[in-house]
Amino acid sequence: MAYSELIKNFNRIREYMREFYVYGFKSREEFNNKSSRSYDDERRRVENWLGDYMNFRTTSKGKNVFISIDSRMVRHNPLYKAWKAKSFTDGDITLHFLLFDILSSPEKSLNMREIIDEMDERLSGFENPKNFDESTVRKKLKEYIEEGLIISEKRGRSVYYKRAADDEMCSTDCLDFFSEVSPCGVIGSCLLDRIESPASRFAFKHHYITSAMDSEILRLLLEAINDKKSVICETKNCKRGRKETKNIVPLKIFVSVQNGRQYLMGYSENFNRIMSKRVDSIDAVKIGEKCDDFDYYRETLDKMQSHMWGVSTQSQSGQRMEHVDFTVKYNDREKHIHQRLEREKRCGTVERLDENTSRFSADIYDAWEMVPWIRTFICRITEINFSNKELEKQFREDIKEMYRLYGLCDSEGGEGV
Amino acid sequence: MIFNELYGAYYAAVSKIIAKAIDKPLKKEEIRKIAEECAFGESAMNIEAALHDERWQLILPDGSTPIINKPTMPLTKLQKRWMKAISQDPRVRLFEEVFPDLDDVEPLFDCDDIVVFDKYSDGDPYTDKEYIRNFRLILDAIRNRYPLRITAKGGKGREFNYTLMPEYLEYSEKDDKFRMIGTGRRGTLIVNLGRIISCESYGNEYIPEYNPVMKPEQATVEMEIVDERNALERVLLHFAHFENRAERIDENRYKISVTYDKDDLTEILIRILSFGPVVKVTGPGDFVKLIKERLISQKSCEQ
Repeated sequence: MAYSELIKNFNRIREYMREFYVYGFKSREEFNNKSSRSYDDERRRVENWLGDYMNFRTTSKGKNVFISIDSRMVRHNPLYKAWKAKSFTDGDITLHFLLFDILSSPEKSLNMREIIDEMDERLSGFENPKNFDESTVRKKLKEYIEEGLIISEKRGRSVYYKRAADDEMCSTDCLDFFSEVSPCGVIGSCLLDRIESPASRFAFKHHYITSAMDSEILRLLLEAINDKKSVICETKNCKRGRKETKNIVPLKIFVSVQNGRQYLMGYSENFNRIMSKRVDSIDAVKIGEKCDDFDYYRETLDKMQSHMWGVSTQSQSGQRMEHVDFTVKYNDREKHIHQRLEREKRCGTVERLDENTSRFSADIYDAWEMVPWIRTFICRITEINFSNKELEKQFREDIKEMYRLYGLCDSEGGEGV
Repeated sequence: MIFNELYGAYYAAVSKIIAKAIDKPLKKEEIRKIAEECAFGESAMNIEAALHDERWQLILPDGSTPIINKPTMPLTKLQKRWMKAISQDPRVRLFEEVFPDLDDVEPLFDCDDIVVFDKYSDGDPYTDKEYIRNFRLILDAIRNRYPLRITAKGGKGREFNYTLMPEYLEYSEKDDKFRMIGTGRRGTLIVNLGRIISCESYGNEYIPEYNPVMKPEQATVEMEIVDERNALERVLLHFAHFENRAERIDENRYKISVTYDKDDLTEILIRILSFGPVVKVTGPGDFVKLIKERLISQKSCEQ
C-alpha cells in the first residue's frame, strides 16, 4: 500500500513513538519483528509530525533515531499530534463538511431526501460530482449521532436530522492548562484546535508527556470505572513473547508525577486480589459486564491506600505489612530536611527527635517501593530498620556498592549503615 | 473514541481553507500555506492535491467553495464529558470559568477516580480566596501586558518587593505549585504564587526595559547504567521530561546524558542517588565530586 502520513491503527505508532522518545538508542536493524519498510514508514510519519524534535545519531550499529523534548520549554505536548493523524476516505471528509453546512443550525431539521437534494445541489458545480447514496449518508449520520453531533427525531414515518446545540467551550487559558495536566488531555488539545488561540500562558516543570500515547486505553478504563464494569485487558508478555488477556475490575487510576507512569488499580479475578497494572503495558481494552461488587472493591482499595507507598498491595517478603523506620540528621542550615520529610511522605509519620534529628516510620504493604525515596537522604541517614530483613540487607549492600562504584572503599565495602 | 478523524489535523486544515474560500476564492499557494500551518510535514501537498483533483469535493476549480456557511461543528459527547470532568477539578476555580450547561453530561472521570500518589503534600491553596484573586490578577496582567507590584515571602521568611512584568505561569505537578516568571529591572524574576503576600496592578508609570526572559542556564550530567532490576527503563522514564540521550555501550550497559537547569542541581543529584548502584555518574567532575561528598557523609553517619 502507498505510504500516507495518516494512519488507521494507533497501536503500531504508539510502540514506535515510545521507542523513539523513551529509549532512542535502537538502530533500524534492532527493531525486532518489524520489516524495514514498516520501520521506514513509521519513522517518516513521526518525522512529519514531530520534525522539530527528531534527532539522528550515527553509531557503529547504524543510524539511531530519537525524539528529544525538554517538556519545560514546550507549551503543548507535541506527542498529541499522533492522535490527530487518523486516516479517512475521500467520501468521509466531503460528506462531513457538506452535512454540517446543510444542517447549519440546530433549528434546521431535514429528512434524508432533503439532505441528499441539498448535497447534490452543492456538488453540481464539479465536473464529476460525487453521488452519495442514502445508505452511505445514513451510516455517516448514525456515526455522528453516536458522537453526539447530530440528533435524530421521528416524525410520522420519516426520520429528521438536525445538528446538536452549539455549546460554548471553556476559556483558552483553562484549556491550555488542563490539556496538559488532566487525564486524556489530548481531548482538550483538540478543543484548542477549534479556535484561534494566542500562545499559551502556561509552562510546565517536571512534566511527563509520554502518557499521551495511552490516552485511548485510559479513556476506556475510565469509562469502565464510571459504569462499574469489568474489562478484559490484552497485554504483551515480553518474556513469553505472546499476548495475554486478563479480566480486571478497574477501580482507580494511579498516576505518578515523579516518573510519568499511570497504573490501573483493579481487582483481578485471576489472582483474587487488588493489584496494579501499568497502563502503557495494555494493548487493548474490551469493556465487559457490570460488576456487582464494584463498590465493595473500591472501598477496600480506599482503606488500603493509607498503607500504600506507590501501587504495590503485596510485599515480596510474604508479610502482610512491612515496617520501615529511618532517622536522619541535619545541621542548623539544613532544617528544611524535616519539612522535606513531611512534604514528601505519602503515608507514615515524621517525628522531630531533637533540633537536628528527625525520624520517619511507616507500616506499608511493600517497603521496596520506598527505597528510592530513602536513598534521596543519603548523606544523613544515621539509622534504618526494615522488618523485611532481606530488603534491609539489600539496602545496605547497595550503599556499599555505591561506595565501591565511586572508589570510596575497597572491594570489601567497609562498614555498613 | 479519541482516535477519530473528526479531531484530526486534516479536518482542521480543510475547515480553515473552506472558511477562507467562503470570503474569496483561494489560490493553490494559499491553500498550501493554510495546510502547512494546521497540519504536518507532508500535509500541504496531500491536501492541496486532494482538493485540486476533486477527490474531496469542497473547493471548486476557481478556488471558491460550494459550502455556504463557515464550517462549525458542535462539541462531541466525549469533549463535553472531558469538560465536565475538569469542571470538578479544584484548580478550575483559579480560572474565571463559566462552564456551559453540562447538567445532563456524565463526567469522563470523577476526581476520586484519579489518584496522584506522589505529589508533594504542601501544594498551593487553590481554594484560598486571596490566592485565587492573585492568580487571576497575574493571568490578566500576562494577557493584557501590564506590570504588577508584588510583596512576597522569601524561602527564609524575609519579605521582598518586586515591580515586574509577568510573562507566564509555570506549574509543577510534582510540587503542585504555580510560579510566575516575569521580567524586572534586574532581569528574570521567579515568584512562587503561594508565597505572595500582596499583589496589585502597578499604577505608576512603568518604563519597560528590554529584559527578555532568560532561558535558565543549562548543564549536562552523564551517567552509566547497568540494566539490572529494569533500571534502564526506570531511569529513562524518570528523566524523560528533560532533553536527554541514550546510547548502548555493551550488552547491558548504557550511557545516558541529561540536560537540566543549573538551578535544579540539588534536585537532580538526589534524583540520581535514588537509583542506587545501578546508576553511576561519570561526568562532569564537579557532579561526581558532589555525589562522592554525599556518600562520604553517609559513611561518616555509620560510624
